[in-house]
Formats: sequence, structure tokens, C-alpha cells
Amino acid sequence: MSRVRVRAPQDLVAGASLLAIAVFAIWASAPLSGGRLGAPGPGFLPRVLAILLGLCGVALVGRSLVRSGEALGRWSWRGPGLIALAVVAFALTIRVPGLAVAGPLAMLVAGAASPETRWRELAIFSLGTTAVCIALFRSLLHLPIPVLVLPGLFTL
Amino acid sequence: MSLLLSNLSLGFSVAFTLHNLALCFVGCLVGTLIGVLPGIGPIATITMLLPITFGLPPVGALIMLAGIYYGAQYGGSTTAILVNIPGEVTSVVTTLDGHQMARQGRAGAALGIAALGSFFAGCVATLIIAGLAVPLTRLALLFGPAEYAALMTAGLAFAVVLARGSILKSIAMVVLGLLLSTVGNDLETGAERMTFGVSSLSDGIDFAVLAMGLFGFAEVMRNLTVDQARGVVHGKIGNLLPSRAELRQSAGPVVRGTLVGAILGILPGNGAVLGPFASYALEKKIARDPGRFGQGAIEGVAGPESANNAGAQTSFIPLLTLGIPPNAVMALMVGAMTIHGIVPGPLVMTRNASLFWGVIASMWLGNLMLLVINLPLIGAWVRLLKVPYRLMYPAIVLVCCVGIYSVNNSPGDVLLTSGVALFGYAASRLGFESAPLLLGFVLGRLLEENLRRALAISRGDLSVFIHRPVSAWLLLTGVVVLVVAVLPAIRTRREQVFVEE
Repeated sequence: MSRVRVRAPQDLVAGASLLAIAVFAIWASAPLSGGRLGAPGPGFLPRVLAILLGLCGVALVGRSLVRSGEALGRWSWRGPGLIALAVVAFALTIRVPGLAVAGPLAMLVAGAASPETRWRELAIFSLGTTAVCIALFRSLLHLPIPVLVLPGLFTL
Repeated sequence: MSLLLSNLSLGFSVAFTLHNLALCFVGCLVGTLIGVLPGIGPIATITMLLPITFGLPPVGALIMLAGIYYGAQYGGSTTAILVNIPGEVTSVVTTLDGHQMARQGRAGAALGIAALGSFFAGCVATLIIAGLAVPLTRLALLFGPAEYAALMTAGLAFAVVLARGSILKSIAMVVLGLLLSTVGNDLETGAERMTFGVSSLSDGIDFAVLAMGLFGFAEVMRNLTVDQARGVVHGKIGNLLPSRAELRQSAGPVVRGTLVGAILGILPGNGAVLGPFASYALEKKIARDPGRFGQGAIEGVAGPESANNAGAQTSFIPLLTLGIPPNAVMALMVGAMTIHGIVPGPLVMTRNASLFWGVIASMWLGNLMLLVINLPLIGAWVRLLKVPYRLMYPAIVLVCCVGIYSVNNSPGDVLLTSGVALFGYAASRLGFESAPLLLGFVLGRLLEENLRRALAISRGDLSVFIHRPVSAWLLLTGVVVLVVAVLPAIRTRREQVFVEE
């Protein structure tokens, strides 16, 4: 028997990921009752779908061994990770101390994702953009976004 | 005919109030402004701007949203022509010839014909919607749960076929979308499904979170890693009004594009996406000199742009008549309607007649406004596009954050969105497309509801889907579409349509 060779690494990883998600979903929906076909329970559809997803995963893995396809390519996690971090930073600071801090913070963290960023320029620009956001969303549209909240001292 | 006219006049009487005109105007303007930002298409734009309609009465909110939608679409075309970055799939085709025209100093003509073509398409599509709404709504009343489930299944089959790339991966994405839609309280028993005790998940994953993560942030992530040659067109924009010869050249493509786009737009399952591609392929095929395409042929802008707009508008038909959103943008409309207490479906037309026809009339108005707003403002858009991406993308991140926070005033949603964005980035690197996932998610709850109802009525007899003729035909269509797409000959054709470069 000849050695199994991976011909499409991208498909292999894609299929394996689908399988992992499917297994996770089957585990997560295990406590739910499946019911009968005549009276499907809450767990009926999730389980059917998870199995279908798993089958797609198996098919992709199988295909990756037979048909050649794309390589995995280079994955850069730095940029996307920092963008995600910027969003997290925004989420953590929007209630306290509010948009006046969360805005520039999110933009500066996001700025770190690109090698082209010029910090002084971005700092000034982030203050301006935040001011525009406050003017637009809070003053003009009256959305209840906390602008500056210093607990015990100040609320805007 | 007289019914059609009286309906339309009712619509215009609603849309022509000062208040609604102003909302339509603001919607178009803001939609274009955000849509012009590179890499932000209509989905992210509408998600971001959804909160600004919360305080409005239902008619006003929908009119404004429709305006935002057209504005975002037109803004996307502007970016495609001037910067060569498509805001979304449908403007990919516009980059081919539109950007070439811009490089030759004919950006003005390209933008002008895009606006004029879209306006023509909008006029025709408005009439089509008005004409088809009544008969289709009657048809919808004959639909039972089995037919609805079958229609949605067929729609998902279309979505798989119309997505780019591997069919197997598209199927997986649709299934994953359906699976994600089952998270949250069960509709019938109220049991918590896969929420892991997280209370914010008990109402299900918010559509806005998914849409913004996959189409707002993930797009920024992709743009950062792809080293893009972003040449905003320097030099002159040229005359905005196309010359007489250019107008004559474009007339045919505009009419054909409108028809192609309008027909495809009605299909459930995001048929509108195919419109621009089909129109481009058609124009190239019947052109006397196909070699000009890709070198700045005005037909290559006029046809697809008209098809795009016609499809964008006729895709309202399944939503307004059947209550089924055919694509992600329409799903956002469902969200907006539900927030304002309107359940989309055949009953809207009878129960909220003034709303229904008001929205249809405002579609036409919105198109007119785009023409009026955008032609003078193109200079401003060009200046906006000259802001370097290193400054643009942090601002996009911030505006997206504020938008997603405002939907529910929940920092938890923002956190969840960052996770979705990372997932979306990884998925795209693995060759998965986000659009089918979003559609699966959108249709998931409706599909499950109808599926379970149909099974309950038939006492678990699956043959109900085959014994009822309408449902059998719909399912058969779905199967045929899928099978045909897998056939080798068609598959290569399909790849060609989507590559087309």
C-alpha cells in the first residue's frame, strides 16, 4: 500500500475544522431531546445539521487526499489579532470610562496592526474621529452611548 | 392597471411628505458616505447604520433603510471605479472596466453612466415590484409550512450554486449557518440550546453581530494581510455626463442589464449576486469587439451596474410578498421591520398598505436622489478616498464598534463580534465564503419553524414534502440546480463566470 499523501492542505485543514465544529455541536446538543419525527424536539435539527456538517468535513478531508488543491498559504495572525484586540479593548472600555476613551484606544490598538502607521498622525486623527462619532451618534442621533463616565465623579 | 396606479399613488402620497423625503435623502447620503469607504459593502453599512433608525416611525425607518441600501450600493461602485477595491461581490465586475476607464481619465463618465444606468434600472424595478406584488402575495397565501420549507431549501440550493469557489465548502457554510441559527431558546419548548448558560445567547446569536463580524471586521483583517495596490485615481475625473456616443453605446447594455438583473433578483437565495456577472458575460458575448472589455469599455460598466441595481431592488419581492429574505441585506430589513413591530410577509400589504406602497415609492425616490446627490458630490468622495488606508482602517474599526454597540447597547455583543471576525478571517483563508453562511443563518429559524410545523401536521410523514405539488416542484428545482452545478461542464463555465478577468 502506498503512503497517503496530502494533495490539498487547505482542504484538509478546512475539513478537519468542520469535523471539530460538528463534534463540538453534537456534544453541546447532547442534553437536548431529539423527539420523534412526528414531534421533533429541540435537539432534532441541531443534531441533524451537526451530522451533515461532519459529513461535509469527512468529504473535504477525503478529497484533500485524492485531488490536488491549494496550499495552506501564509497565515498572518498579527494584523487580525490586533484588530480583534482593538475591538475587545473597545468593548471593555465603552461603559466606563466611555467613548471618549474607548474611541482613541480602539483606533490606536488597531493602528498597531499595520506597519505603515505613523503614531503622531494617528493619535491626532483618532481624537478627531472620536469627536465626530460623539457628535454624530450621541448629539445628532441621541443614541445612549456613554461619552465620559468617571465613577463617582462625572457622567456624560 | 388602475389598481396598480392607485396603489402607487398611495405610495407616493406617503413618500412625498417632507419628513419622509428628508429621511430618504439622509439615508442615501449617509449610506453613500459609509459605502464609499473601501472594503465596506452594503451589509456592513446597513448593520452600522441600523441604530440610527430606531427612534423613527416604521415607514420612515424603512424608507431611510432603503435609502441607506441604495446609497451603500452606489458608494461601493464609486470605490470600485476609483480605487479598484470592490466593496462587495456585486461590484467586482465594475472594477474591471470601470477602473480602466478611470485610469484613462474617464472616471466621470464611468460614474455618470453607473448612476444613470442604476436610475433607469431602479425605475423599471420599481414598476416590476409594484406589478408583481399583488399576484405574488395571493400566491403566498396558498403556501403552507411544507411549501415554505421547500422554498427555503430551494433558495439555499441556489445560494450554494451562486457562491464562488468550491461547492462542497459552500454547502458546509450553509449548514454551519443553519446550525448557528439553532443556538438560543427553542421556539416551541423554550429549552435553552447550546447557550452554555450565557444569558446573552438565549435569544440566539444576533444577526448584526454575525454580519458585522464577517463583513465588517473580517474584511479589514483581509485587506491588511493582502498587500493591495491601492491607486486612487489621480489626475482628472473628467466630465460626469457621458458623451452622446457613450450614451448611445450604453443604452442597449443598460436595458439588457436591467432585465437580467431584475429576473435574477427575484430568485430566492441571493440571485441578485449573479446579475452583474451575467450581464457582463452577455455584453462581452454580443459585443462586436470583445477585446475592448477589460480595457475600459463603457458597456462593461453600464450593463453590470444596471443589473446590480435592478437585482438589489427586485430582491425585495420575496421579502415583501413571502416574508422570506433572499439575501443578507434583506435579512437586515427583516430585523428592522421586526424592531418596528411589522412581521414581513403576505399580510403586510393588506394590514400596512400605506407602509408597503410607501416603501416601494420611496425606492424610486431613493434612486432619483442618488442621481441628484452623487453627481455633484463625486469630488468629495474622491477626496475621502485619498485618505490613506493606514488612517482609514482604524476609523472603520471604530465606526463599526460604535455601530455594533448601539444595536443593543451591549458590550457583550462587541466582544462576540471580535470572535466572529477572527473566525471569518480564518474561514476565508481556508477557502470558505461568508455569504452562504449568513444566508443559512438568516433562513435557519424560519426553516426550522416551518419544517417542524409541517412534520407535526403530517404526523412525522416526510412524504408530505413530495405529495404536495408546489413543494415537490420547489424541492426538485433545488436538487436539479445542485446536480447541474456539480456536472463538470457546467462547473468550468461557472468558474469562468466568476473569474472573468
